[in-house]
Amino acid sequence: MTLRFAEEVLLLLLHDDNGKFARVPEWSLRYALGGGVLMDLALENRIDTDLEKLVLIDATPVGDSLLDPLLEEVAAAQESHDARYWVEVAAGRAWEIREEALSRLVERGILEQREDRFLWVLSARRYPVIDGKAERELKLRIMEVLFSDALPDPRDIVIIGLADACGIFKELLAERELDLVAERIGQVRKMDLIGQAVSSAIWDIETAVAAAMPPLAY
Amino acid sequence: MKMTTERQDGILSFRVDGRIDGSNAIAFQEAVRTAVDDSDRAMIMDCANTSYISSAGLRAVLMTAKSLSNRDVQFALCALSNDVLDVFEKSGFDKIIAIHRSKAEALGSLHDQ
Repeated sequence: MTLRFAEEVLLLLLHDDNGKFARVPEWSLRYALGGGVLMDLALENRIDTDLEKLVLIDATPVGDSLLDPLLEEVAAAQESHDARYWVEVAAGRAWEIREEALSRLVERGILEQREDRFLWVLSARRYPVIDGKAERELKLRIMEVLFSDALPDPRDIVIIGLADACGIFKELLAERELDLVAERIGQVRKMDLIGQAVSSAIWDIETAVAAAMPPLAY
Repeated sequence: MKMTTERQDGILSFRVDGRIDGSNAIAFQEAVRTAVDDSDRAMIMDCANTSYISSAGLRAVLMTAKSLSNRDVQFALCALSNDVLDVFEKSGFDKIIAIHRSKAEALGSLHDQ
């Protein structure tokens, strides 16, 4: 069973013990989920990119409700745009991608959806993992690439780029391990041009947020 | 895309003329797979006439390098135009795949090993 990148990102973000998501910046998650759909479309040979533009290769629907709405939008575009433009468009669909990906993970028996009520009124959703095989295999795949010099697979490149964009590695690795593989993460992340567009979009927001922060008073 | 091959001392030269993109990346991978035989110890991808490479093309080159590595066949690229080299450098592929300025340099390097 091959999961889509958006599903894999959500699995990586889930805490196994309580079914809650790790706290990552909202914008990072939006770009990672949207970028993940674009990358799946690229690996399905529907779109292609270079340093300047993203082009449609084949408008035939994939038959996947996570991918086809964005494919339709790319196919309907009147003019060509770069990967960064489409990452922004895809990020605009992030919450529908998130809901669709979560409901598929529940349907596949990987997660369970639970509603917790507190103060008798407010509710919060949790997604405890009920079949951890997919998540374990995914983490193993990532660690194998990070802790070796082997040539990575295109799917590994994408998920490592997305995981790094969301800051997931801080959750998955101890600080010492993270230091050890930081260079390797940087090397692998660079290898996908859509991934580069995702990282640059997040970087721009983080820079803008940092610039808007008042300076610390001493 | 036009592909031609020649073989010398167990080194296969695989020349690609034209573009490598989403329209032909799979054909490229398949052509390499069938061109390499068990007696080959190395393959040089001669890009002297490769005019363009896209993301799909990079993925095809990566999968080719991986598949050759699994078969214990060395892999190198040579004679890239500035535009094609720029794509390899900006995506960091130059750090994981050997790139030589000319076919003679690539042959020399592989003969030395």
